[in-house]
Amino acid sequence: MLFRFLSSARLVLVGGALSYRALFNWTTPPMFVGTLLVGPLLQVFFFVFLGRELQVADDRFHLVGNAVLAASASCVYGGTMAVANERRYGTLGAVLLSPRHRGPLWAGRALPYVLNGLLVSAFVLAAAAAVLGLPVPVEALPGLALVLLAGAAACSAFGLALGALGLRFRDVFLVSNVASSVLLLLTGAAVPRNTLPEWMRTTGELLPLTHAADAARRLTAGDGLDARLLGTELLVGAGYAILALALLAVFERGSRRRATLDVM
Amino acid sequence: MTRVARLPRLVGVGVRTHVSYMSRSPIEITFAVLVPLVYATLAVYLFRAAGDPDRLLTASVGAGLMGIWGSVLFGSGGAVQNQRWLGTLETLVVAPTPLALVLLPITLATAVTGTYAMGATVVWGVVLFGVPLDFAHPLLFLLAVPVCVLALGMTGLLLAAAFVLLRNANALANPLDTPVWLLSGLLVPVTVLPAWTHPVSWALPTTWGARAVHAATSGGDVLTPMLAALALGTGYALAAVLVLGRVERRARAAATLTLA
Repeated sequence: MLFRFLSSARLVLVGGALSYRALFNWTTPPMFVGTLLVGPLLQVFFFVFLGRELQVADDRFHLVGNAVLAASASCVYGGTMAVANERRYGTLGAVLLSPRHRGPLWAGRALPYVLNGLLVSAFVLAAAAAVLGLPVPVEALPGLALVLLAGAAACSAFGLALGALGLRFRDVFLVSNVASSVLLLLTGAAVPRNTLPEWMRTTGELLPLTHAADAARRLTAGDGLDARLLGTELLVGAGYAILALALLAVFERGSRRRATLDVM
Repeated sequence: MTRVARLPRLVGVGVRTHVSYMSRSPIEITFAVLVPLVYATLAVYLFRAAGDPDRLLTASVGAGLMGIWGSVLFGSGGAVQNQRWLGTLETLVVAPTPLALVLLPITLATAVTGTYAMGATVVWGVVLFGVPLDFAHPLLFLLAVPVCVLALGMTGLLLAAAFVLLRNANALANPLDTPVWLLSGLLVPVTVLPAWTHPVSWALPTTWGARAVHAATSGGDVLTPMLAALALGTGYALAAVLVLGRVERRARAAATLTLA
């Protein structure tokens, strides 16, 4: 029993780390800094100045919302690359030939992006708050770390679900690009959700980062940790994790049956 | 036919070829149409929430301009790299036509493809949000958009030249999206930015192109910013010619043309 647990843990940790190094296209320092750190930070400034011009919401709203959303760059694209790049590099067959259980195998793929997303969000929040002079209460930091971690985990599960489409469709990065933009609109990171129509608000409730952004805003305003928002974010993440595993299983069976596993 | 007389034909045929090529790429169309539509929706809801219904057309047009810049940035930035991946770079370099004139149609084509964004965001605004098409200067708008496209295409040539020097061009392209939206006043007037950013804004052809398009949309002087955009764009193109000549000579001497 212990041996099986240790073996699975090794698959998750070592397998995840190896896949991150091999499959994530943005690990070189210039790409990591440019795409994952500087890009989202500049996006924060864009929305903060837009917010100041339109007076729809204050700096805190845009800064914290976009900092939480910053995790999506690594989580959505990373989750997609974790599956789709195996196919692109011709290694998917070897991975799926493995007799190992698919749960830990795919969970390991998502894990590095959770940590990456957390790092990116924390950096963007800290740097933007420092530049724009937004005070963040020290007592809110543990809660913020928890909320950002939950958001990154939910977003990574969402990215893995999108990546699963890479087993079936060729242009999966097209889906990731659209999904990434949709997150910007529907999670309320950039536009207050009460200004959106009902169906957009409902869709936003079902997306990752929506509840994490709300919880992070409350924390930075000194209102304490909202356990309901945190729980909902975790629930949304669990839902996407189940969806991702289900899609991966279905598409794996389908591509084996049609012998299209490595077909580009 | 003299060399100068052949130039418009070279550019025209090149632009047509590359626009056709890019228009068949799902990823190009996604960037050119779907992503700007998301930004247009976001902009319209924000402007509406701000109680500024008179500026909804400005919001749609601004989102379209953002789409054009996105298309130029990623398309032109990757112009040389794409030819390298396609295995056509050596052929283009050894052609008797100067490399800058071979690349100019590609960068212009990325800007032309970007106009899909402008069309999509304006039609989206009209159809879904009932944004009235009350352009202050409709005819000048139809003139300002191509001039803006031309200026951005020439800016793209400098990007293509600069990015060929860098192995990780995407690392520079990815974060350049939003600062240019911001510094050029595509959606937010540059006057709300800190004063130290203004000289940077003035040096960008996108600022003057956007100013001309916005003036044609909501009123104001269109011709002066249009001429400024063209002049700056020409300056950027000339700088690109100098950079490209140097890059080409270095790549030929070091035999690194095809090395990614």
